[in-house]
Amino acid sequence: MTDRAQYTPGPASGAEVRKDGEQWTLILVRELRHSPDKVWQALTDPAHLREWAPFDANGRMDLAGATVTLTTVAAPRPHVTEATVMRADPPRLLEYNWGDHHLRWELEALAGGTRLTLWTNIGRRFIAMGAAGWHICFDVLDHLLSGSPIGRIVGGEAMKFGWQRLNAEYARQFGIETPERPPQTNQHS
Amino acid sequence: MKIKLTSVYVSDQDKALRFYTEFLGFAKKADFSQGPFRWLTVASPEEPDGAQLQLALNDNPAAKAYQEAIYQQGQPAVMFFTEDVRGDYERIKAHGAEFTMPPTDVTGSTIAKLNDTCGNLVQLTQLARW
Repeated sequence: MTDRAQYTPGPASGAEVRKDGEQWTLILVRELRHSPDKVWQALTDPAHLREWAPFDANGRMDLAGATVTLTTVAAPRPHVTEATVMRADPPRLLEYNWGDHHLRWELEALAGGTRLTLWTNIGRRFIAMGAAGWHICFDVLDHLLSGSPIGRIVGGEAMKFGWQRLNAEYARQFGIETPERPPQTNQHS
Repeated sequence: MKIKLTSVYVSDQDKALRFYTEFLGFAKKADFSQGPFRWLTVASPEEPDGAQLQLALNDNPAAKAYQEAIYQQGQPAVMFFTEDVRGDYERIKAHGAEFTMPPTDVTGSTIAKLNDTCGNLVQLTQLARW
């Protein structure tokens, strides 16, 4: 676990937002040095998701029409939602809902790797938090795919790994003046 | 061990935040999300580090059934204490809230009940002084 202890996320990058009133779409792009097939498995197999994703799935997510129970990991109280896989076109396109969030994953083959793009709808207030959380998840995914897993970093655990800095950096990039702070640093507001 | 937080299920967190802050006068305390999960709490400005009320999105069928049943029975989902229930009643009513019970003397207290617009009755309680 020394890799985990040494992990620090790089600067905020690879994210953009599309703004439509209060409801914004977050678009995250990450290039991975692994094949689309390998990335696809990490996105759809519950055993792989458990190593990096912010939720646990109780079944495979690679069949259109499948319903899967997603449990948010490390939420302050249990949060369980039913997800439906809307599109599954291996190893290129995957769409499902996580609660009222719609997630669309696109995998493009690159020379020697995959360009992974995530689109997800997210409220203006939380979009920098979401970008910071996924940034760390994607770093953990990259370690997993490289065969040197560092273990999932989600929820409050992300606070120990630079989440606040990323949240502030993404908020600046997205033009959000005052990012909401987590409760640990919100004692007097 | 301390009582620092209680929860109320609400049908819409943004609408609930408006009711509990603009109508009742509480202040937002914590608001963060993890995916579709949103942790949202308010606290009393008279006691900012006192107990928090979590406004929890009611996406749980068991909680929905419970919430509807106790609402139908006229049971409050949550209760707040005030020093001036009649003054609060006038102020909140003038703001447009729907009271299902005006200030009413009962054993040991005066109570009023209003609809929080998110599936709950809220009781305001002023303890009698002897």
